[in-house]
Amino acid sequence: MQEIRNYTMNFGPQHPAAHGVLRLVLEMDGETVVRADPHVGLLHRGTEKLAESKPFNQSIGYMDRLDYVSMMCNEHAYVKAIENLLGIEAPERAQYIRTMFDEITRILNHLMWIGSNALDLGAMAVILYAFREREELMDVYEAVSGARMHATYYRPGGVYRDLPDQMSKYRESPWHKGSDLKRINSWREGSMLDYLEAFTADFPSKVDEYEELLTNNRIWKQRTVGIGVVSPELAQQWGMTGAMLRGSGIAWDLRKKQPYAKYAEMDFDIPVGVNGDCYDRYLVRVEEMRQSNRIIQQCVKWLRANPGPVMLKNFKVAPPSRVEMKDDMEALIHHFKLFTEGYGVPAGETYAAVEAPKGEFGCYLVSDGANKPFRVHLRAPGFAHLSSMDTIVSGHMLADVVAMIGTYDLVFGEVDR
Amino acid sequence: MSAQPTGTAPDLLNIEVDGKPTQIRKGAMIIEAADAIGVSIPRFCYHRKLPIAANCRMCLVDVEMGGKLMPKPQPACATPVAEGMKVMTRSDKALKFQKDVMEFLLINHPLDCPICDQGGECELQDVALGYGRSVSRFTERKRTIADENIGPLVATEMTRCIQCTRCVRFTSEIAGTYELGGMSRGENLQIGTYIGKTVETELSGNIIDVCPVGALTNKPFQFKARAWELIAKPSIGYHDALGSNLWLHTRRGEVLRTVPRDNEAVNECWLSDRDRYSHQGMYAADRLHAPEVKRNGQWQATTWEDALGAAAEALKKAPGSELGLLVHPATSNEEGDLLVRLARGLGSAHVDHRLRQLDFADNAVATRFGLPVADVAGVKAALLVGSDLRHEMPLLNHRLHQAVKKGAKVYAVNPARFDFNYALAGEAVVAPQALVDALLALAKAAVADGAAAPAALAAPAALAAAIDGAAFDEGDKDAIAALKSGRAVVILGEAAVTHPQASWLRAVARFVAEVTGAGYDELPVGANALGLGRLGVVPGNGGLDAHAMLAQPRKTYLLYGVEPPHDFADGALALKALHGAERVVAFAAFASPALRDVADVILPIALLPETDATLVNVDGLAQGVQAGAKAPAQARSGWKVLRALGGLLQLAGFEFDDLAGLRDGIAERAVAGRDGLAAREPVQGLARLATWPIYRGDAVLRRATALNAHPLNRAPAVRLNAAEAQRLGLAGGNPLRVGDATLPLVIDPAVPDGAAWIEAAQDATATLPPYGAAITLSKA
Amino acid sequence: MSRITHYFKSLLLIELFKGMWLTIRYMFKPKYTMRYPMEHIPKSNRFRGLHALRRYANGEERCIACKLCEAVCPALAITIDSAPRASDGQRRTTRYDIDLFKCIFCGFCEESCPVDSIVETAVHEYHFENRGENVVTKPQLLAIGDRFEADIAAARAQDAAYR
Repeated sequence: MQEIRNYTMNFGPQHPAAHGVLRLVLEMDGETVVRADPHVGLLHRGTEKLAESKPFNQSIGYMDRLDYVSMMCNEHAYVKAIENLLGIEAPERAQYIRTMFDEITRILNHLMWIGSNALDLGAMAVILYAFREREELMDVYEAVSGARMHATYYRPGGVYRDLPDQMSKYRESPWHKGSDLKRINSWREGSMLDYLEAFTADFPSKVDEYEELLTNNRIWKQRTVGIGVVSPELAQQWGMTGAMLRGSGIAWDLRKKQPYAKYAEMDFDIPVGVNGDCYDRYLVRVEEMRQSNRIIQQCVKWLRANPGPVMLKNFKVAPPSRVEMKDDMEALIHHFKLFTEGYGVPAGETYAAVEAPKGEFGCYLVSDGANKPFRVHLRAPGFAHLSSMDTIVSGHMLADVVAMIGTYDLVFGEVDR
Repeated sequence: MSAQPTGTAPDLLNIEVDGKPTQIRKGAMIIEAADAIGVSIPRFCYHRKLPIAANCRMCLVDVEMGGKLMPKPQPACATPVAEGMKVMTRSDKALKFQKDVMEFLLINHPLDCPICDQGGECELQDVALGYGRSVSRFTERKRTIADENIGPLVATEMTRCIQCTRCVRFTSEIAGTYELGGMSRGENLQIGTYIGKTVETELSGNIIDVCPVGALTNKPFQFKARAWELIAKPSIGYHDALGSNLWLHTRRGEVLRTVPRDNEAVNECWLSDRDRYSHQGMYAADRLHAPEVKRNGQWQATTWEDALGAAAEALKKAPGSELGLLVHPATSNEEGDLLVRLARGLGSAHVDHRLRQLDFADNAVATRFGLPVADVAGVKAALLVGSDLRHEMPLLNHRLHQAVKKGAKVYAVNPARFDFNYALAGEAVVAPQALVDALLALAKAAVADGAAAPAALAAPAALAAAIDGAAFDEGDKDAIAALKSGRAVVILGEAAVTHPQASWLRAVARFVAEVTGAGYDELPVGANALGLGRLGVVPGNGGLDAHAMLAQPRKTYLLYGVEPPHDFADGALALKALHGAERVVAFAAFASPALRDVADVILPIALLPETDATLVNVDGLAQGVQAGAKAPAQARSGWKVLRALGGLLQLAGFEFDDLAGLRDGIAERAVAGRDGLAAREPVQGLARLATWPIYRGDAVLRRATALNAHPLNRAPAVRLNAAEAQRLGLAGGNPLRVGDATLPLVIDPAVPDGAAWIEAAQDATATLPPYGAAITLSKA
Repeated sequence: MSRITHYFKSLLLIELFKGMWLTIRYMFKPKYTMRYPMEHIPKSNRFRGLHALRRYANGEERCIACKLCEAVCPALAITIDSAPRASDGQRRTTRYDIDLFKCIFCGFCEESCPVDSIVETAVHEYHFENRGENVVTKPQLLAIGDRFEADIAAARAQDAAYR
């Protein structure tokens, strides 16, 4: 009798569908996965440990680099944790700005996800369209923070700077001139809020286009319907959050359940799935984009009507403006100390979580009263999701592993931290 | 049970600070009580070692007495505690007043933080952040003050001054020189030297530490680094045997500045300029970066292997009896012990560290202080014998100064009228050759005062006879009476220990101390003279002492950390002996031209801040330090080099692997003193008084540029008093020829008749006749 | 009824043709892409790109070696040595290195600078050909500042109200 042995193969870490540096050791029985063993840590940068050696503010930029597809949401959790311990609250306008940018970030993330997941499963066009909208939103990132991805925009006590009253415009070139130039600059004539308004007016039709390409597409459905079914119980047991949980029919969303920033004032719905398979999660995420769009529209409306400070006028934690710093002794001292030593945070511990596009992104922060965190722990949703890999893909075909990785929406910046 | 707290000592009071009950001695101020229990009250002018001024008003607190709130907040630094007092440091009213005072203090403060060296370690910044407003309401012009240049050590920017007067109180109460003071009044009040002169105290660096703002900053360190870039490494001072505790502030392994480390028993919270600024010397241009060997008269940088081979060969060539080891007295215990092992292994008994000593009749080595340093501040009387204490050990002098402020009487028997920062109760200033006689007079006075006869005190016959033969006067009697009146100390200074009749001075000073019941403190010459004495880094059986080794030249010399000719009592003799030697192996940090001239192999070793070492201070306290800075390039710790050399020579005692192994093997070796007294040969004519200037004491100090630019480092000169110059017919003669040197003449009333004061360790003076020797002057 | 519709829709590949029709439509729409490097997308006046050290109009360098940027740099990319300037004793840098491999372009250096000396310009097109060129030295930074001073000043002026 010939001995039959399962075949073990490495999926990644250099696999285009591994979404970065996932090394998945698959035990195969023919085409069927018997066991899936994800190996993580290839992108470990010690962010949590690094934060212990720096004044609080200096780690904001490193939060961007955790889940580098949903930058400002990560910042939000960290900044919220610091604000909790300091017992301060950002001005209302800053709260609206944060709400708006959290949703912009959500759209950015889901666009990235929809494009790459479709690409993984064989659809080429979606990523091209998704990236077009991503570019438009990244211009907004750049307009407020100066960086298209790693914004470092949220600060304890508010946000770095107020929204600009103008958007930079395309310059004339031999390929874009006259009416053509006018067309591509048409959104950019007014302020950043005007630009966003134009974007949000246009975006639902773009989402329709993605749906037209995918929702009823038979190949897409063949690859996703009934694949990677996560039962509501399983989802809860594995600590899933975000679309992974809502796709299984549990209406859990921190924006509704524990509203932070200005979500309590926002009118939006939480989509939930029915079957808990990849297709339902796809539908949930698509609908989330539409809901995010609604929230952005509401924020734009409020922000347009309510100018005001975007940073706390408390120089013990938030630096003074440049004008004040340059001719005011007290302000200069505070500027100097804030940028060298930072501020001391009262001893204590706190957990601050936000509904990041991928799920609950949390920051557990312990301070011993010094100007540096005593300990920072970051709860990355992707990590909890990935750990369920074996349970979910066992018995599936090899090609379904790709669909599953896609639907997890993994980004190794946050999984490995 | 009564409601009264029980167990209160009679002089303790119960008070409550921010709700925390505490006890504090009667007469203490609120701020002391708060500090003791860790309640922080902002302050600028208060400093625990300085008298209270209460002029910054930053420490205002709410005080409740007998259940009644005082109508106005009280300054915590100037309000004495009272039984049952309740202090609220963080009440709304207190915080409001603190905030308002802070606003006043910042009104005239310039927006200098970015260019101010204090930025980041500034009390004004810290307190402003903690207690001040966020935004200023002051929009008028700020006051400015013109700067003074107060010397090469302290940089000033008096516009930043907040008039806390800590520096004024420091110079008057601690340094005792009254060099800084306030001028004008109201808004125009400014701190300065009145006449734009250099601050000359040997403790001037401490005004930088006490200054809460950036008005007084470290000049050699100016603009070099920020506080947050520096890594503080604990270390100790190695230019005097006090062993001041200090922090080396290093960046990338380089010492950028030095600040004091609190140790009440040693240096309190102060540091002498000598220890504070000497680090500059470590990075002099002639610092050795690689081993060098002289071949065919040419110096070549080479590898350690090659250099150690050359050194081993040189040391083996002549028999042990022809090998002399001269060890610098600041050498650490570890290195000292290895040097003894090396000498024993090579069969040489000629090893000594007492390079600046001239009289070896009693074979004395440094001993620990009879009266510990900390107790010197409490003496009722002191007798200084041959001591320029301010320059020899600045912080011991500070202790004595504190005693004088409390009424102590200080008498001195000195070869010159040295400058003290307190008035002496009596002083005998005589030429070096008469110093013993002046001290004998005191001894005679002590005997006459009814003390036991010298014979009964087991004094050597020659000493007893000398005392009997002496005559004394009223001044001597006063001094003896003062010494006997309470706790007292006799301090034998460097000018006595390096004297050609040091054995006499030591014996008589000891005798005086014994009969008056005073403590006997002999200043060691060299930072670790005490440790090296304990480890027996002195001639063995039949060995030659440091002076004899040079007077009877050897064929081979090993110089350890020694820089010829400055580190020798008799520079000319040393150079002659070293020139005549066939082989000289030098362990050195610096390669001066003189060293290059005489040596054949130079092995670069680390300086104390760069190595793990143990030094023994005057109280017998062995202080171990770890390397705080990086030795340059190829330079290595001395003990490592010695271990490699010992291993290469296959000597016993070099089998250890690491520092712990080395330290385990270190044992004290008893040094037998002798009863001998030097022959007292009269000196004809002028005798030279040689003292080591405060900033020329060792190789590092001689290279510390800022210290050497300080006025305390006087230009080489011949100092005579006016009468003597007249007598010698030199009054108009300037410059003078002394031996083969030409030096300017300075008329100095501090010099007694019969003496010419020429400071040692200057290039022009190093090869002149030694301390106490006859000297001839002529017009150049 | 819906099953029948679904059957025919499925048989006739309706949803596939609808998707293709969408992509075909885009073939005739104006191109979204830019002809880089001949064309650029617009850049915000807050853009954080390559660093520069600025000068005052009289040619004096602005940097006073306060080292705030060095202290605040989360990536420890800035290295400054300072000393009194030989000519007039003013506080100046003797070395100002930025390691662009370490830099995370967070912009804190520019925020911290009390004299608007270190700035992040809009330049993002730069490259290195040799090892070690990633460390930009003070003369190089000053040269970048000199070259782009007009752009730098204009961007700062535009955003002045928010700074």
